[in-house]
Amino acid sequence: MNNLVRLFTTRDVLRVYAAYGAAILLFIIGALVHPGFASLPSVTTILLISSFIGMVAAGQCFVVLIGGIDLSVPWVLNAAAILLATASLGQNGRALYAILLTLGMGGLAGLANGIFVVWFEVPAVVMTLAMNGIVEGLTLGLSSGMTCGACASYAPPIVQQAVHGVFLGIPTALWLWLVIIIIVSFALSFTRFGRATYAIGNNPRAAFLAGVNVNLTTVALYVLSGVFSALAGILLVGFGGQASLGMGDPYLFQSIAAVVIGGVSILGGSGLYVGAAAGAISLTALVSVLLALNMPEYGRSIIYGLVILALLLLYGREERQ
Amino acid sequence: MPRDSGEGAGARWRSPASHAFGQHIGLILAAAILLVAIIIFSVMFVIQQHRLPGNFEITSTVNNTMPLALAAIGQTIVVLTRGIDLSVGGVIDLTNALAAILLRPNLGNQLAVSVIIILIGAAGGLINGLLVGLGRLQPIVVTLATLSIYQGLAIRVLPQPGGAVPPGYTGFLVNPNAPTALVFLLIAIVLWLGLRRTRLGVDIFAIGADEQAAIALGVRTVRTKIIAYTLAGALYAIAGLFLAATATAGDATTGDSYTLTSIVAIVLGGVSFFGGRGSAIGAIAGAFIITMIVNILFFAKINPLYQAFYEGLFLVIAVVLGALIGRLVRARR
Repeated sequence: MNNLVRLFTTRDVLRVYAAYGAAILLFIIGALVHPGFASLPSVTTILLISSFIGMVAAGQCFVVLIGGIDLSVPWVLNAAAILLATASLGQNGRALYAILLTLGMGGLAGLANGIFVVWFEVPAVVMTLAMNGIVEGLTLGLSSGMTCGACASYAPPIVQQAVHGVFLGIPTALWLWLVIIIIVSFALSFTRFGRATYAIGNNPRAAFLAGVNVNLTTVALYVLSGVFSALAGILLVGFGGQASLGMGDPYLFQSIAAVVIGGVSILGGSGLYVGAAAGAISLTALVSVLLALNMPEYGRSIIYGLVILALLLLYGREERQ
Repeated sequence: MPRDSGEGAGARWRSPASHAFGQHIGLILAAAILLVAIIIFSVMFVIQQHRLPGNFEITSTVNNTMPLALAAIGQTIVVLTRGIDLSVGGVIDLTNALAAILLRPNLGNQLAVSVIIILIGAAGGLINGLLVGLGRLQPIVVTLATLSIYQGLAIRVLPQPGGAVPPGYTGFLVNPNAPTALVFLLIAIVLWLGLRRTRLGVDIFAIGADEQAAIALGVRTVRTKIIAYTLAGALYAIAGLFLAATATAGDATTGDSYTLTSIVAIVLGGVSFFGGRGSAIGAIAGAFIITMIVNILFFAKINPLYQAFYEGLFLVIAVVLGALIGRLVRARR
């Protein structure tokens, strides 16, 4: 019994409670300033928007857990959205091919990130920054700045339904997110792969000596990050119908913020994905509250930053040496 | 995975020239890349224009590079302490916007406004420094958060692009008729060489090389980090002033790109991301390399849409090449 209590009160788990507490608090504040904020349709919409951030945050969480970072999120996501629309030409028959192609593209970008970080010892910040530029240039160049014939294509109806469809009263995108939360959490907490991830984050050398294949695991994590960015791109184009330039830009800040709010250490080695998911919900709820208050863009930007700083000061501090 | 630079252990006597070569390999490589870029550009220019690049080309290259060069020097100081500063873009946005609405044609106003804006930039840096140093927070998330705050403030100051920069101010900072702005870079280099020899300069390098050892040797790490971020903030503000002078107007979002390009510039300039290695001179060289790459792509008639692709590609190639050559040089000695 005592052990069970201890299991649910570790520092990591307490931070997850804090992140969910923040989300609930924001919903209550929202309901106070704007009646109907906590109504079911409103909450569902907020959760749906959170799910896009949550998908990207899953990939970001993986690489942050080993002390890395993925700055290539914005353009991998944007390229994915454009690739899905152009490859499918809006036809259901081509949807599966387009989805696989898009996820493969994300994985490839992640693979290149991982290979250069591991074997060429390029710092993760530099490598993923360069990859963001590479994907941006390729996307803009190949689509002639989104003026190509196929660029105006809509997402296949089946993909749009996958986001907007409702199953048991809940949008299907949220079911998908729930499945991802369960799979990612299980993979991180109960598999060899997950333990290897935390071990590398805590001490790569010790992990290596303990028999962890550090290089392969690192590459796999970057591949996953690329795939999750691409998945978010697919869902976003399904949500909005069409792809546009710059649609990935907000997701870098938001994915890192979600991970940090969720209590994942930016130095790596500790944190849970359920926390990052709560971080994504808190972030979206915060934006929604500010929008309900008619807060202009500059105010939202400032409050965004202040909230992250406050949370960092609350529990993101390094141990005193 | 960070690893030891391999120095110190089993050190044997080296000739001063060999030692200097090993110490400045990053800088030498940056200079070599810049030289190659300039040669390629000149050859393309001669083929297409049937003359050598003249005063106009040199002046516009220098003037266009000034904001990036200054931002990169600031980034260098922070990265030397093993930090990183993503708020560059926000500080440049804010100072650029302030310059556009505050500057007036009289000299007294221009002097006062410039000083105030540099102090505001320094204050932005000070906040970063306090959070990183006293708050013991990770630089990457702190500056990501302050980036958002400074960007918000910039849009508050100047919601739409506009304002005006007096022609006299532009003429003084970025003279369109001659590359006189090089004088400012020369001053920056002299100040850098001076800083490098002060207690503060040595402390900055010591923290980046080995923070624990620096603490053991009595380096006041918190104070040094705060000063480093503050200095960087002041430099970003100067970059914001140069950007406003070049554009002769303000825009609260044009500074955004400098977060990324300042990092690219210092990496090309041989500044180590693991701290303790690098120089402002390398950062300036890196900034010029980026401008030259853009110029070369233009003359090679490469679709400008592909620009980010080539920048990213060259960044990776430069880093991998730099690491390989660095390892080769150290292995041979």
